[in-house]
Amino acid sequence: MIMVNGREFPWEEGMTVKRLLELKQYTYPRITVKINGEIIREEEYDTRTINDGDNVQCLHLMAGG
Amino acid sequence: MKVLKKNPEKCIACHACEETCSKLYFKEENREKACLRIKETDSYPEITTCTQCGVCIDICPVVALSRDKRGIVRVEKKKCVGCFMCVGFCPEQAMFMHDDYIEPFKCVSCGQCVKVCPTGAIYMSEE
Amino acid sequence: MILKEYKYELGKIERGYNNRSLYINLSDNTIKEKEVTQFMKDKFIGGKGFGLWYLWNAVTPETKWNDPENEIVIAHGPIAGITQYPGSGKSLVVTLSPLTHMPMDSNVGGYFGPYLKFSGFDALELQGKAEKDVIIFIDGNKGIVQIMESDIEEKDSHLIAEILTERFAKDEEDKKNVSVVSTGSAADHTLVGLLNFSFYDIRRKAVRLKQAGRGGIGTVFRDKKIKALVVRFEGTKGNLNNAADQGKINRTGIKLHREICLLDDKQNRMRKIGTANIIEIMDQYDLLPTHNYKFGSHKDTYKISSDKFQARVTQGLPDGCWYGCSLSCAKAADDFIPQTGPYKGQKVIVDGPEYENAAGLGSNIGVFDRDGVLELNFYCDTYGVDTISFGTLTAFIMECYENGILDKEKTGGLELYFGNKEAALELLHQMARGEGFGKIAGLGIRRMKEIFIKEYGADPDFVNDIGMEQKGLEFSEYLCKESLAQQGGYGLTNKGPQHDEAWLIFMDMVNNQIPTFEDKAEALHYFPMFRTWFGLMGLCKLPWNDIVPENNKYTDEPAKIPEHVQNYVDLYNGITGKNIDKHELIRQSERVYNFQRIFNIRMGYGKRIHDKIPYRAMGPVTEEEYLSRQERYDKQLKELLGLDPENMTTQEKMAALRKYREEQYEKLTDAVYARRGWTKDGVPTIEKLKELGMDIPELIEVVKKHL
Ligand code: SF4
Ligand code: SF4
Ligand code: SF4
Repeated sequence: MIMVNGREFPWEEGMTVKRLLELKQYTYPRITVKINGEIIREEEYDTRTINDGDNVQCLHLMAGG
Repeated sequence: MKVLKKNPEKCIACHACEETCSKLYFKEENREKACLRIKETDSYPEITTCTQCGVCIDICPVVALSRDKRGIVRVEKKKCVGCFMCVGFCPEQAMFMHDDYIEPFKCVSCGQCVKVCPTGAIYMSEE
Repeated sequence: MILKEYKYELGKIERGYNNRSLYINLSDNTIKEKEVTQFMKDKFIGGKGFGLWYLWNAVTPETKWNDPENEIVIAHGPIAGITQYPGSGKSLVVTLSPLTHMPMDSNVGGYFGPYLKFSGFDALELQGKAEKDVIIFIDGNKGIVQIMESDIEEKDSHLIAEILTERFAKDEEDKKNVSVVSTGSAADHTLVGLLNFSFYDIRRKAVRLKQAGRGGIGTVFRDKKIKALVVRFEGTKGNLNNAADQGKINRTGIKLHREICLLDDKQNRMRKIGTANIIEIMDQYDLLPTHNYKFGSHKDTYKISSDKFQARVTQGLPDGCWYGCSLSCAKAADDFIPQTGPYKGQKVIVDGPEYENAAGLGSNIGVFDRDGVLELNFYCDTYGVDTISFGTLTAFIMECYENGILDKEKTGGLELYFGNKEAALELLHQMARGEGFGKIAGLGIRRMKEIFIKEYGADPDFVNDIGMEQKGLEFSEYLCKESLAQQGGYGLTNKGPQHDEAWLIFMDMVNNQIPTFEDKAEALHYFPMFRTWFGLMGLCKLPWNDIVPENNKYTDEPAKIPEHVQNYVDLYNGITGKNIDKHELIRQSERVYNFQRIFNIRMGYGKRIHDKIPYRAMGPVTEEEYLSRQERYDKQLKELLGLDPENMTTQEKMAALRKYREEQYEKLTDAVYARRGWTKDGVPTIEKLKELGMDIPELIEVVKKHL
């Protein structure tokens, strides 16, 4: 189990940032991803894996209206 | 069209070109009022010049920028509303602003700076 | 024929202010100048602040929107008219609204506001009612104001603006120096009339329109028998505000131009498609209002996605609604040919579409048809109908129709089911002609609810649940069921459910950044105050957060865009020579925000009971809605309420969820009021007013009665 935006989410072996965004259906183009507080660069979404128990934040900086 | 070109390897950063340019256009030796810029760096100086690409022409909201007969991009001061969008959008960063003026200024390919450059680091070229 | 002419001395703007305003009374054709006092500048700053203050002094608690003493005030603000910082040409329009009976404010682009300023006035106050249609003309170079009888036969804005631009401009070159304010034929027959502010597009060689949409301001305009306002000013330069520090403003502007140049393509593509960029995103996150806010997405959304609109937006060059807006969201579709109505078959320009229009005129009424959206958009604008109100009220009508509250007989033959584009268009044409069911629709949702209950025997609970209005104003186009904070962002507002005070959906629902009531209350304090400030200054909201600096995500509060906040502080100080900081910026807004709240209270509203929202905004009203998102709702019952959905009927589940959500909204209301310094009933306390320096006797007198 990992935490995504403060809510529990099932973890899977070898889960990359990219995979997580797919699973969450987070398609918004401007998302800042943090793992345990560390900002992950977009170039690493493909390769950076998430460990069980990690605290992940996917912050949508959405302006709106 | 005659365009000002550069060869940074030759530049010794004497700034003679900048001073000549500002003197010519603003009657004052002030590098911050020059239409080209020389910046010292760790390696060769960085020379900023206008390529006359025309990107700024489409940016201007009042069509104050256009090409003259020689093909050179000119600012029509009377029309200009001083928004400085052209400054922000110039790919070469070769459109300039100075606090003393409410219109931007740029290289008009007059070639005076070339004449004072001791090393040939800038030159006019027919494009 | 000129009914009245007034000559005035040309002035010079000092640090953002002319220090005078223009007052016109149409009942007796008075034209005079008024001093803008230091008191006004200290307490109300400008823009909407000035508008509210003038209106406050013009009306009494008994004044109705169509009484002659009601005013329309158009004001810009100290920063407005600079050309260096994107989004600096806005006008703020204030009036007593025919929909809400309270002060309404609307923020609109176009050149009128800046030209009014350059002509010598910080605000234009319009009071009284003319006998016959009039045109008011301000010649900002000669110093002349004229009231003249209108000889214009045309009834709709795209023609009126074109004719008057043509008439008052000396030649083609001069057209950019003219701006026209007008509305269209529907403003004569409905309560949802808007105002169109024009600017001349020199590349298209055409007049373009921007809308002061919300709250029926156009209806008031026509009630005063104003056909149009025209201003002409030649000689726009970048330094007419005589700023204390022009260089600071230039540098701040260039910094943002550069940022937009380098980053807009990677971020929101505002220059390419404008605000329509979020249609498909809203759909993907289940936030796109669909079928009267029942759902948040639809399988056909791709038909109205932003690339479909982009393909229709012809001119490749980005254009702004005032000089210097490099964000340039002002899009237009050229050579559009309407299929219906009086302009059928003619080539017209459709300004927009903006996100709101695509959602309101598209998904919310089930019209997943790009050209249908564009045609509705064109007619709304030129007829002078607020697209948001039209979309939301038509969605309401359609749901009533599908539920048998309405039928063909009652609608005069219009089959107003979801997705019926032809019927929606005909409804709009009826509004413009003042005929048939269009007349009823044009009264807005609040009055329709009364009629449907009284005359058609509709179930009051049901129509009150699904009628998406609050304070009399129709909701704008975001689905906020799953975001409590946004429910507050709609409900706990001064003018009604428009998202311009706060847009917190992602921060709250997706990011979960403001989990507690206190967090949400803080957001519902800060953002409404921060955004109010744009209206005091004459600024556009978009360049604040529709583009962000590259390093924004590394800052302490990314949602606030700290660097841009500092830009605004610099602009204000650069213009006025003062030295405020970001905290004083919020206090400037708080003064006006609390004043507006008290104004509402003075008019008999503005209390807790008026801040309630229909249940459709909070949760599933119908089984159909519940079942469509059953997994989500069942999970919530389990996790939040410890219930076992397996053993409950859908009705029981809906009731439990509703009870929970309604309680949450009440708790949120408590928290927000406390944070804003208001009583539990939503009344600003005297201590709060003292703290803000707003303990003005006439305000104290109003609140005292409610403490
Ligand atoms: S000023 Fe910049 S954008 Fe304009 S022509 Fe020169 S290089 Fe191109
Ligand atoms: S600063 Fe002048 S020349 Fe440059 S874009 Fe603005 S109006 Fe045009
Ligand atoms: S962002 Fe759009 S609405 Fe705002 S000022 Fe620029 S062009 Fe106008």
